[in-house]
Amino acid sequence: MIMRPGQPLLLPANPVFIWGTLLLALLADMVPLGRTPWMPDLLALVLVFWSVHQPLRVGIGAAFLFGLAMDVHETGLLGQHALAYTALSYFAITIHRRLLWFSVPSQALQVLPLFVAAHAIQMAVRMIAGGAFPGMVVVLAPVIECLLWPVVSVLLLAPQRRAPDPDENRPL
Amino acid sequence: MPLGTLDRTPPPFFKQGPSAVSKLMVCSALALFLMVADARFRIAEPVRSLVATILYPVEWVAMRPVAAARFVAGYFESLHAAQASEQTAERKLVEQSLRASQVEQLQMENRRLRQLLDLRERLTTRAQAAEVLYDAADPYTRKVIIDRGLAQAIAPGSPVIDESGVVGQVTRVYPLVSEVTLITDRDQAIPVLNTRTSARSVAYGDPAGHGGWLELRFMAGNADVQPGDLLTTSGVDGVYPPGLPVAKVVKVERRGDGGFARIQCEPQARVDAAQHVMVLTPVGAELPARPAPDDSPPATAAKKAWGRK
Repeated sequence: MIMRPGQPLLLPANPVFIWGTLLLALLADMVPLGRTPWMPDLLALVLVFWSVHQPLRVGIGAAFLFGLAMDVHETGLLGQHALAYTALSYFAITIHRRLLWFSVPSQALQVLPLFVAAHAIQMAVRMIAGGAFPGMVVVLAPVIECLLWPVVSVLLLAPQRRAPDPDENRPL
Repeated sequence: MPLGTLDRTPPPFFKQGPSAVSKLMVCSALALFLMVADARFRIAEPVRSLVATILYPVEWVAMRPVAAARFVAGYFESLHAAQASEQTAERKLVEQSLRASQVEQLQMENRRLRQLLDLRERLTTRAQAAEVLYDAADPYTRKVIIDRGLAQAIAPGSPVIDESGVVGQVTRVYPLVSEVTLITDRDQAIPVLNTRTSARSVAYGDPAGHGGWLELRFMAGNADVQPGDLLTTSGVDGVYPPGLPVAKVVKVERRGDGGFARIQCEPQARVDAAQHVMVLTPVGAELPARPAPDDSPPATAAKKAWGRK
C-alpha cells in the first residue's frame, strides 16, 4: 500500500467501535435542542469520516439507513436525509484515496464542499416540497462541520494509534 | 510484531460487491421514491411508523440530558419567581371566580332559552391532557411531539389547545407519541371568527416561517378588521369546537397589492413554549352520522312519470 511519507501505521479498526461511534452520533443528533438550523450534523460528519477511512465497512447502504432514521426523527420529508447522506457517502468514497494524502487541515478544506452539497440537497428538496425558508444561519452548519473535522480525526483514530505491543512504558 | 497489527490488509481485489455508482443510483432512486410517496400519495406511513417505533428507545435516551437539565433548572428556580407566579395565579383565580359565579347563572339561563328554542344541546368535546416532549428539529416546519399516541387513542386531526388558546392540530400518530403541527406552520390553516364583527375567515400560518405570526388572507382592503380584534374558532369546520381563542389582530396594512389587506395576528396560546396541552376529540367525530341518501320520492315519481310516457 502506498502511503504518505511520515504517516504512522495504524492498528486495524474495531467494527464495534465504528458502529458504536455512528450510533453515538445518531444519539447526539437526536438530543432535542429545539429548532436550530445552524446545528452541525454530527452523524453526517462521522459517516463521511468512516466512509473515507473504512470504505469497505461503512458505505452507501449504511448512510441511507441512518438517513431514514434521521428523517423519521425530524418529522420532515421521508427520504430527505437519506438522499443527502447517500450522496455524501458516495462522494466521500470517490475522494477517499486522494484525501488521505493530505494533512488533516487540508482534508477539512476538501470535505467542506461535500457538507455544503449535502445541506444544499436537503434545502432544495424541501423548497420544492413547499417548506418555509429557515433563514441564512443554515449556511453555518457545513462550516462548523468542516471545522470539527480535525477534532473528529483525532478522536476517532485514537484507538488505532495505540501501541501494537503494550508494555510497562507504553500502557496504551 | 504480532500478525494482524497492520490495517493495510490486502483488499479482496475481485469481490467488492456492487460498485459505488450502482449503489448510489439504487439508494437515490429509493430515496426519491420515498419522497414522492410521502409528499404526494401518503403511502409511506407504514415505513415511517415502523422506523419510529424502532427508534423510540434511542429517542428516549437522547431526551434524558435535556429532561435532566430542565429538572435542575426548575429545582433552582428562585423563590422570588415562585412567589410571583403564585400571586398571578391568585389574581387570576379571583378574576375567574367572579366569572365562574356568573357562568352558573348564564348556563342556566342558556339552558332554558335553548329548551325554549328547541335547539340541540351544545356538543361537549372529550379531552385528554398531554405533555410536549420536544420541538421537532426540522427547521422547515413548525411541529412539536407530544407524549400521547395510538396507545391513548389519539386520532389524527384532533385539535390541541393550551390554557389560553389553540396550539395546533395532531397530524401524525405513532404508537406512543404523536406529532402536532402548530398553527404558525406555513401549511396550517384554521377557520376563525372575528368576535367583534362576527365575520368568518381563515387564518394561515406565517409563510416566512420564522416570525411566529398568523395571517388573515384574502380579506378585502376595506374589510372591517382592526388591531386588537380577537379571533376565535368558528366551529364551521367540524374539527375545532367553536369559541376557542386563536389569535389577536396586531397589524393591518390596507395598501396591499391585489386589493387585499395584509393582516398580521399574534397567536393567543403560547405556541412556541407550550408545555402542557389538551388534546380534544374532533367535533366531527361526535356529530351524528348523516342520513343515508335513500332514493327520494320526488325523483322516483318523476322517473315513473317519464317511463309511462
